[in-house]
Amino acid sequence: MTDSIQPTAPAATMSDRSAAAERLIGQLLIAVTYVAVGLLAIGVLLMIANGISPLSEGPPLDLATLASDLLALEPAAYLWLGLLTVVAAPIGRVIVAAIAYAREADWLMVGVSLAILAVIAIGVGSALTVTV
Amino acid sequence: MLVGLLMLGGGVAAGAFGSVLGLGGGVLIVPLLTLGFGLPLREAVGVSLICVIMTSSAAAGVYLERHVANMRLGMTLELFTAIGALVGGSIAFLLSERLLSFLFAGLLLYTAAMMARGRPAEPDVESGTETDPDADAPGATEPAPPRQPTQLERLSGDGYHVRNLGRGVVGATGAGVVSALLGIGGGTIKVPLMHLAMGVPLRVATATSNMMIGITAAASAVIYIIHGGIDPYVAGPTGIGVFLGATAGSRLSHRIALRYLRLMFVVVLVYTALQMLLRDVA
Repeated sequence: MTDSIQPTAPAATMSDRSAAAERLIGQLLIAVTYVAVGLLAIGVLLMIANGISPLSEGPPLDLATLASDLLALEPAAYLWLGLLTVVAAPIGRVIVAAIAYAREADWLMVGVSLAILAVIAIGVGSALTVTV
Repeated sequence: MLVGLLMLGGGVAAGAFGSVLGLGGGVLIVPLLTLGFGLPLREAVGVSLICVIMTSSAAAGVYLERHVANMRLGMTLELFTAIGALVGGSIAFLLSERLLSFLFAGLLLYTAAMMARGRPAEPDVESGTETDPDADAPGATEPAPPRQPTQLERLSGDGYHVRNLGRGVVGATGAGVVSALLGIGGGTIKVPLMHLAMGVPLRVATATSNMMIGITAAASAVIYIIHGGIDPYVAGPTGIGVFLGATAGSRLSHRIALRYLRLMFVVVLVYTALQMLLRDVA
């Protein structure tokens, strides 16, 4: 009852360009998430092959050795690459949204997107400064 | 192997639950990993952040593709939630966490009561005219020339008008502050805020919340990864489970009757409030 969707004023409907941009962002999010899950699945299969229990302590992320560990089929390397892809997905979504809004000349939403990224960067930066 | 399967199964449940209600599923993952597998709380929270992002991306992708989530509204509110989280992190040491969580539990119970009553959130078709300065102009008999939509109209979606943006901004900022202070997901605040205060339909509110929770969780997850707070061996199987659950949940959510969706949300609000009160007492 309270959530029935009723006809609305034309001004409130989404433009074709906005709708296409949202569809594209949705598809990109799904695609990136599938890639992340694929990498995590390879990591889990390698864990099983190597007899590693999920409760045994995993190694921390080491970007310097990540490429060589991937080539050596180290389970943790695939898991870390998958986890990094997971974390990158929403940040990438905001960047792609900013580009889409710029193409629509919707500068207010471009500003909102960039401001979100700036606030996140300040938060991460200040947390690292305080704790390091 | 059995442990991995249990983590996967727990992840499926948390992902489905989180994507349907717009909460991320952390409310299930943290107890599962701490009570079920004996993981330290910090490590469980780290894995939970990964699961929240996974739920958010898997569900938001589907909801955006189907135009259920409102991206403009979500991003606008998300900016203020991020600012609130930044402020909350800075003032955390100034406030009594016990008092704050007591007050927050009260707010959750009040919100649960409002949600249970199922009001108001009528799609406010008329409210769009309130922002139109020419709508009530005397003697406006000529057809109005084409005009640019107002900001509220641009934030609205097909079939509903967003209202009370000011209240939404204040609420979203508060959600960020409370999230940072109490370590709870903002979905418990954002969904009722959009639904009850801003006139957004419940399904749109949960879908939009799903999209919003990913970005703040990502910022926190970066910090956790840098400080070694995430164990890849736990995050791997749990994350896959969450993905499966969230994908299924977001594709099936429209089949769940609204009254059940509302009831589930009320139960989660009451559960979270009681958990905070019990933590206070302890």
